[in-house]
Amino acid sequence: MKLAAALVAALLFAALPLLTTSNYIMGVGVSALIFTVAAAALNLIYGYTGLLSFAQLGFWGIGGYATALTVVTFGGTFWWGLVWAALINAAVALVVGYPTLRTNRHAFVIVTLTFALLATLIARDWVDLTRGALGIPNLPPPVAFGYEFGTTGRFYWIAWGFSVAMLTFLYALCTSRIGRTLVAIKQNEPLVRAQGISPMPYKLASFALSAAITGAAGGVYSFHLGIIDPLFLDFYYMQTFLIIVIIGGAGSFWGVVVSGIALSALPEVLRFSADFRMIIYGLILVVAMFVMPSGVAGWLRERRLARLRKTLR
Amino acid sequence: MSAVLEVTGLRKAYAGVHALDGVSFAVEAGSITGLIGPNGSGKSTAIDCISGFQRLDSGKVVLAGADITGRVAHHIARAGLMRTFQTVRVYERLSLSDNLAIAHQQFDAATWVDEFLRTRRYRKAVEASEARARRLVELIGLQRYYEAEVGILSYGQKKLVALAAALMPHPKVVVLDEPVAGVNPSRIREIEEALRQLNQAGETFLIVEHNVEFITNLCHQVVVLDQGLKLAEGTAAEIHSDSRVLEAYLGTTPEIAEAEMRTSA
Repeated sequence: MKLAAALVAALLFAALPLLTTSNYIMGVGVSALIFTVAAAALNLIYGYTGLLSFAQLGFWGIGGYATALTVVTFGGTFWWGLVWAALINAAVALVVGYPTLRTNRHAFVIVTLTFALLATLIARDWVDLTRGALGIPNLPPPVAFGYEFGTTGRFYWIAWGFSVAMLTFLYALCTSRIGRTLVAIKQNEPLVRAQGISPMPYKLASFALSAAITGAAGGVYSFHLGIIDPLFLDFYYMQTFLIIVIIGGAGSFWGVVVSGIALSALPEVLRFSADFRMIIYGLILVVAMFVMPSGVAGWLRERRLARLRKTLR
Repeated sequence: MSAVLEVTGLRKAYAGVHALDGVSFAVEAGSITGLIGPNGSGKSTAIDCISGFQRLDSGKVVLAGADITGRVAHHIARAGLMRTFQTVRVYERLSLSDNLAIAHQQFDAATWVDEFLRTRRYRKAVEASEARARRLVELIGLQRYYEAEVGILSYGQKKLVALAAALMPHPKVVVLDEPVAGVNPSRIREIEEALRQLNQAGETFLIVEHNVEFITNLCHQVVVLDQGLKLAEGTAAEIHSDSRVLEAYLGTTPEIAEAEMRTSA
């Protein structure tokens, strides 16, 4: 049922360039798809494994720069750039994660936050590599088999294919025994250890996978913008991913996917009132948190449990 | 009978205070062994050290002939020692069936590759786990909650879930940390009956508990700790008449203490 709905939604999204010629709408579509993937990756480490990672912003930036530099500085293709973005981020996550995950969850939050700030500094100050505050403009459109993804309408297909592939992978992972074990680690780590499972490999793997996917998403997004500069590491992105996960319901795969699409579109829908747009957006978020403190998925779950309690009484 | 768990000379000190000062005892295969003692006598420290949740200072722990001294908790679990916790630990937001399946998954041969390809090995592992889970759920009488989230159950029911989870992988010995503390009296009878049935089916238990009646009814062998030392060891009847035990528990003369113990039990 859920899968059928997801399939229909994916096909509807695929049809978007056929339904509109507006670059603006397709641009919003690209953002919605990419942000949803990045939020789903944050959901893996935060919602499932229970580790709040601010490092996602760093991975997003490293991924963007890795892809851009692969093409501009090292003469590779966009596609290889995405591969490098994923691999570099996975490696960085393992190096940062191993010592940090040996401490506790609070230390993990602080270290990942520091890591994100450090990544911003490097983007701005390692001028020889990143060209500093000027950034790297005019990123060339990706090419595959002689077909140039030169317009927003064409680039949309890349974003669509990428997000369908990544979300499918994440769905398979989260619904497997591995996903179930991640939830178990979040809920009761001593019990997991008492049942013969070592939590460390699971935590590290989910952190590295989350980093790789976020990095690749950053790579795609930088070529959508056509330019990368230190603003690519603006906290706005981290905030967006986090809001999507919290409103959707941390730990719910579909909750986060739906809220990713909805919250990316919401500020655009509110454009009818240019003056009050962001105020209304903020109000909606505040009200949502008041009414549904554990997100939409959490709210639905509470109702389901209440019904279950009633029938079992 | 042979010992499945042998503990020798267990020592553990916190900042100079000896929580355990050279404790030795053994758990016979197929037995129910009780570990009792007043608050602060070192019971919890002992099982934390045995199960790898705390580092021991010295001593030796042997499980079914294998030295497991000082190994980490998940290694000791894989070696065949499962434990429960004093304050009940279950996965509150997972279903009862998932709670039991997770307790089993480390003990079957199926890897994530098997799962992805849905190999025969994976299907057989899931079938075996499911069959075991159904049997245990029937034993603890929670069949109607099989697919329900464990969070909706009562405290006593969660204790039963924790017990069933510990039994999932056919462990060599199950260590229960206060299985009936905070459980209402009618439920205590159920737990007692379940443990007796499981023991008759061949399971071995080491039980830490304050409830003297529960221990007396159930245990073949009782070990009494006091201030980090083994005070006495023997059958429940022997322990009951041991004046040192009574004094440690109640701090009065044996005659009065025994009378008090009878009335409270």
